[in-house]
Amino acid sequence: MDQFRRIQTGKKGDIHLVLFKDKKILDDTVLDEIRTEITQLIGKASGPDVLLDFSNVEFMSSAMLGLLGQLHRKISTGHGRLKMCGIRPEILTVFKITNLDKLFSIHKDAPTALATFT
Amino acid sequence: MLQKRLTEAGHTVRWGENGALALALVKERRPDVIISDIEMPEMTGYEFCKAVKTDAALKTIPLILLSTLSDPIDIIRGLDAGADNYVTKPYDPDYLLGRMASLLATPIDSGDDVGSLLEVTLAGQTFRVKAGRQQVLNLLVSTFENAVAKNQELVVANQELSVARDDLQKSNDELTSLNAEVTRINAQMVRDLKAAAKVQRSLLPADDVTIPGSNVAWRYVPCHNLAGDFLNIFPLDDEHAGLFVVDVSGHGVPSSLMAVTVGRFLTPKVSDSSILVRQGADGRVVVTRPAEVATQLNRIFQADEFSGLYFTLLYGVLHLPTGRFDYCSGGHPPLVRIPATGGAVEFHPMESFPIAFVPEVEYEQRSLQLAPGDRLVLYSDGVPEAMNQERNPYGDEAMAACLDRSRGAPLDVCVGGLLEAVEAWCVPNGPLDDVSILSLEWRP
Repeated sequence: MDQFRRIQTGKKGDIHLVLFKDKKILDDTVLDEIRTEITQLIGKASGPDVLLDFSNVEFMSSAMLGLLGQLHRKISTGHGRLKMCGIRPEILTVFKITNLDKLFSIHKDAPTALATFT
Repeated sequence: MLQKRLTEAGHTVRWGENGALALALVKERRPDVIISDIEMPEMTGYEFCKAVKTDAALKTIPLILLSTLSDPIDIIRGLDAGADNYVTKPYDPDYLLGRMASLLATPIDSGDDVGSLLEVTLAGQTFRVKAGRQQVLNLLVSTFENAVAKNQELVVANQELSVARDDLQKSNDELTSLNAEVTRINAQMVRDLKAAAKVQRSLLPADDVTIPGSNVAWRYVPCHNLAGDFLNIFPLDDEHAGLFVVDVSGHGVPSSLMAVTVGRFLTPKVSDSSILVRQGADGRVVVTRPAEVATQLNRIFQADEFSGLYFTLLYGVLHLPTGRFDYCSGGHPPLVRIPATGGAVEFHPMESFPIAFVPEVEYEQRSLQLAPGDRLVLYSDGVPEAMNQERNPYGDEAMAACLDRSRGAPLDVCVGGLLEAVEAWCVPNGPLDDVSILSLEWRP
């Protein structure tokens, strides 16, 4: 069913749901696999709406922020929307130091985030 | 299995589960050939053989014993049982079929060869065996044929082994040459990494760096050969000193290449590449405002397609005569001041995006008025985010407490103490990120 190793995917209407399976996203290899898998998922869609769910993620490297920036730019260029949810406080600190909590659309949990895709 | 092969070869097969049942079948309808195992329930192969061979009506039916022949006594037992054919297990079905064909072609003489009592000594044991001459001859021939067949199998197996050995030798040679290639490439990479690490060290403060009216101390510990962090401090002109810490996201070659590229722009020498200083119209050096430095860097490092590589930066310019410190952060952890007055260690956070992350950002700058004896501490996130074994971060509070404890000590002791505290926090694995600390004490 699920062809991806790093992400669990689903769809709610036209919105792609992406749940990260890993507890730790620190390794470059893990990061590259996540990048490849998300690209495979939304690669051909034009203007996709995507919700990234971080509920499982306990540790995350600064390079992951770079990947999020990449996705953000790619999706907004295609007039899609990227939103994130389920980010625990320790990780949210990383977003706050880099001010990226202002750039990204971050929500408490999946239902709250989904309600904002109107 | 055997039954299937025999049927395929055109024989009619009747199958007895054990010796007793088989004997009944043989008596009921006389077969052309009997094939018997030795290990059987109820009646062993030897007993069955003896029963057939002592029955005048059945004794001329050729009987093949399937034996492992693991012991020479097996042959004696066979002789005694009146066996006239052996095939050793495991056997090739085709060989068995061939043997059957030759047995069918030469029927056993039914003459009155009752046999005489023979004495055989084997392995120190004497056996008294009753065997007919014809039977002994048949058994001898079958054993010989069997030995020849086994020998041929051995020859074939030996040839196959020899081919396999040649293949193995060839694979081994290939592996050896591949291994040499890997070693060569590895040595090349180690040389390249060392050269790159050397280039990186050139981004760090000169050994003899002095800032008039100030003390300087720094520590820099990359977690791999190549780092994403670097820091520097230098005079920009007679009245200004510039200092920064840069932290490129990720580790390894891509990050360190970006660090070296960023470093080219952050040089205090007036040149085409420096964005920190330029030559004014009157020939004097003009120092670029920190906010302008960050904005320019962000513009320079924008690519059409964001690669995911970015960096955080804290850059400040100290006006040496007045102690005014202008600084700008690009997504970097807060600037720290240790006031000479003895007040609490201060954090000065600034909300701003990392460099290269978001296009067209105008960065802002802040100012701090230093008092004589104030210390400024710039660092990378490798300090507060250093994780211990329980994966708890070292944290801002611990950092502030550590700096507070050593505020009376010389600056170098204070900075060295912070690095030691971070390393102690990360025992036994050590920090997983580059650790950079740069500190300046203004003493006009």
